[in-house]
Amino acid sequence: MSDSEKPKLAIYWAASCGGCEIAFVNLHEKILDVDAAFDFMFCPCLLDTKKKDIEALQDGAIAVTLFNGALRTEENLEMAHLMRRKSKIMVAFGSCAKGGCIPSLANFTGSDEMLKTIYIDNPSLDNPMNIIPSGVTSFAGGEISLPGLLGRVKHLAEEVEVDYFVPGCPPESDQIWNVIEKILSGDLPPKGGTIGCGNLTVCDDCDRIKEEKRITAFRRSYEFYPDTRACLLEQGLICMGIATRSGCGAPCTRANMPCSGCYGSPDGVSDQGAKMVAALGSIMDIGDTSGLSESAIALRVEEFLQTIPDYAGLFYKYTLAGSTLGGRVGGSR
Amino acid sequence: MKIGVYFCNCGTNIADKVNSDLVAEAVKTFPDHHYFVVLDFICSEDGRLQFEESLKGEQPDRVVVAACSPRDHENTFRRCLINAGINPYLLQMVNIREQIAWVTESPVVATEKAVRAIRGSANRVVLQKPLEKKQLEVSSDALIIGAGPAGMKAALSLAEAGRKVTLVERTPFIGGLPVRFEDLFPAMECAPCMLEPLMADLLHGDYAENIELMTMSELVELTGFYGNFIAKIHRKPRHVSLHDCIGCGECIEVCPVSVSNEFNSNACMRKAIDFAFTGVLPNAPSLMEDICIRSKGDECRLCKDVCPMGEDVIDLDEVASVVERRFGSLILATGASLYDTSQLSGLGMGTLPDVYDSMQFERMLSSTGPTGGEILTADGRSPESIAIVHCAGSLDEEHKPYCSGICCQYALKFNHLISEKLPNTSVTHYYRELVLPGKEAHAMFEYAVNNKNSTMRRYLRLSDIAVSCDEDRKLHIDCSGERAFSDMVILCPPLVPAEGSSELAKMLDLGCDSFGFFSELHGRIDSTQSTIKGIYLAGACHEPMDIKHSILEGMAAVGYSLAGLQPGRIVETEPTTAEIDESGCAGCHLCISVCPYRAISFDAEKNISRVNAVLCHGCGTCVAACPAAAIVGHGFTSEQIMAEIEGALK
Repeated sequence: MSDSEKPKLAIYWAASCGGCEIAFVNLHEKILDVDAAFDFMFCPCLLDTKKKDIEALQDGAIAVTLFNGALRTEENLEMAHLMRRKSKIMVAFGSCAKGGCIPSLANFTGSDEMLKTIYIDNPSLDNPMNIIPSGVTSFAGGEISLPGLLGRVKHLAEEVEVDYFVPGCPPESDQIWNVIEKILSGDLPPKGGTIGCGNLTVCDDCDRIKEEKRITAFRRSYEFYPDTRACLLEQGLICMGIATRSGCGAPCTRANMPCSGCYGSPDGVSDQGAKMVAALGSIMDIGDTSGLSESAIALRVEEFLQTIPDYAGLFYKYTLAGSTLGGRVGGSR
Repeated sequence: MKIGVYFCNCGTNIADKVNSDLVAEAVKTFPDHHYFVVLDFICSEDGRLQFEESLKGEQPDRVVVAACSPRDHENTFRRCLINAGINPYLLQMVNIREQIAWVTESPVVATEKAVRAIRGSANRVVLQKPLEKKQLEVSSDALIIGAGPAGMKAALSLAEAGRKVTLVERTPFIGGLPVRFEDLFPAMECAPCMLEPLMADLLHGDYAENIELMTMSELVELTGFYGNFIAKIHRKPRHVSLHDCIGCGECIEVCPVSVSNEFNSNACMRKAIDFAFTGVLPNAPSLMEDICIRSKGDECRLCKDVCPMGEDVIDLDEVASVVERRFGSLILATGASLYDTSQLSGLGMGTLPDVYDSMQFERMLSSTGPTGGEILTADGRSPESIAIVHCAGSLDEEHKPYCSGICCQYALKFNHLISEKLPNTSVTHYYRELVLPGKEAHAMFEYAVNNKNSTMRRYLRLSDIAVSCDEDRKLHIDCSGERAFSDMVILCPPLVPAEGSSELAKMLDLGCDSFGFFSELHGRIDSTQSTIKGIYLAGACHEPMDIKHSILEGMAAVGYSLAGLQPGRIVETEPTTAEIDESGCAGCHLCISVCPYRAISFDAEKNISRVNAVLCHGCGTCVAACPAAAIVGHGFTSEQIMAEIEGALK
């Protein structure tokens, strides 16, 4: 089949780290199968196709776009709308596109504050003129412009209609292949569904021994060597696996590290972070409180909670933009 | 979907604050088809009738009643739905009286609040599904923990009433603490003789077949609720068949190892296979596994080989087991023990010879005890003088602030017994307060004060008494500046909960008071009921008491059990329970840890958790905690709750 007869495949990155592309390339020799099935025609990370080439296409000319990255800039926004218009199937690919992921943690601060942290206060920078890159910059060869920042980081579905969601930071390569196969075979769930994953939680993928979940103290990975067979959460590590969609195969817990929750919440849970907080609140064991005053009990809870560093980064690392919380109250949209 | 919204004026209670005309207008704007009815007192006989007639006429798919707290009349209105042929769980109540009318100043605001609350309920009720109650037959059988006077009396009485009783006892023998005593206050009766008929009836009487006695056993898990409890009981191996052993003692003779006997205050030795002490019932020895040389790899089987009753009486390979029993009520009769007198500084317990606590002295007095009933000092002499310290740790903020109410009486009993056994020995009572209630105890008091060898000395604080020892092993007792010599000192400490009580309370989720005794439902009108329905408290497990009162409480607990649990009686369980969606459960075990009713178990084969609907109380803890949202709370689903919130906030 010549390229012109094959369905067109595009991969676009918005505010992302490039990990999704690496995961895609990690298909290894299967990438040849992708090439055989698709006209892989747009991927700024790998191919030289330009925006104007996409604009020149008829609407709906691209069969599938795997859109990764959150929406941080006006350019991200513009490209999201462009790719949506040109694509039959729009896939929010990876956790940034699906839920905002790490870029959306910036929603806890305003843009000015964030830029100041990055370009002025950053201890590894030497910026005597306090330059914050923005707008149009003229130089001998002409002028270049930077796209403006949006008031807050959004996930893809906040701006355009998304047909399918693929979770993961990044999605596991074997699951990417499953997604390709599903698209090729047309064996797809109703639009708006999540594919390339399981329907349970990571506990189903994780073969550690689960017993009594009653936690007397939260601990962090650097503090001890966790037992390699017992449930990490039961050992006091805040493992997000209980509140995270299955399908990754639990590589983190296999490596003796707690799940950080990158596959987001399973079906039926609207807010992964809130669910995790509810679950942990139910199993925190603050000991015998008989005879203690209310304030003494509150203090004990407070001390217990102080052992959790960075609530937002822990519970909402992958989902803040799409969560009930969303970001800082009062931040502009 | 047709939704009937019924508005109760509750006389002026609601009508004064909430304008039903405005509510009616607002209801017209709700989605779905609603009709609106205002009634005056829906809970009254007339009101219920009008309500039912309206329901029959309109045949709504769902019903909202805006009235009082569901705690008041949800059941009333549910019954009306049943009478109208509608599933009662298709009703949603809105509490516009307590939560709105009574607590809101402005009628305008109250009406606005009521509209929001009713809109929330109307939104929610659409998602409610018909639910059915489950019917369960109660068990009228009972489990009793502790085979002391209270437990034995309760077991026998229930058995006589035809109830099956499982009597669980931690030690190898029955009779509790009193069976270890010689004579009892106030009438100086022989304790084992007094208990003998009770114990014999329990083991071999007319109703014994209704009693299953488990010695060397402990309750390890309890699930269920009043009428339908399920217990797991851990049975240590006795290694001797209670059924076949005749108690001849041949096995004891040949046993090659000995250990100090805890049931004789460690004051004498026992064999690895032996009776706890002479005359115990059931009349069969028990083998202490950890002492038997087989536990060290030896192949000894001398006891088994010598048994004249054959091969099957002693089972050297018997192992511990866990058995399950289902029953309707649980009687705790776990008794008490003595406060540790080594905590009392300056009185010499544990550091000086011939300082004993009252239990050690009871065993010394007992003809089945380590000295065969002879009062002897550690070096084998008959003491010429004995000091008895009352209130040793009682009425004392540093130790126990309460009076146990029995110590003075047994201390005076000691006076009596000492004088009988050693007529020339002097006895000095050091007491802080004398407590001798009832119509009989005065006799012992009179005996003691008229005894020419007795002295009664009052002290103010325990720190006024100091016991020391000179080189001749003679004990000195200094009391408020006066010194006396004594060959033996007996300390009478407060009663405290039996060992293991706090663990038992924790396992049962039972409250304890600040001293560790089980909490009563009410100290006076319900003192033999615990805080959990169907669990009763008999005897010293909840308060220090004597044998008479323990036995009375055993009977009181039986009364509760018999009155409430008749064979064949049906209880209905609420259908608002939790259920796990098997396809969404990843087997993380979290729900099992959070369930306060032990209603969730794990199916290892399918790798999922499962809720036992009979045990589930519908509290919703697991529903909220399930990180996979795989548990649905019937009647309180997340969708229903969200719909209610959305309706209220619209």
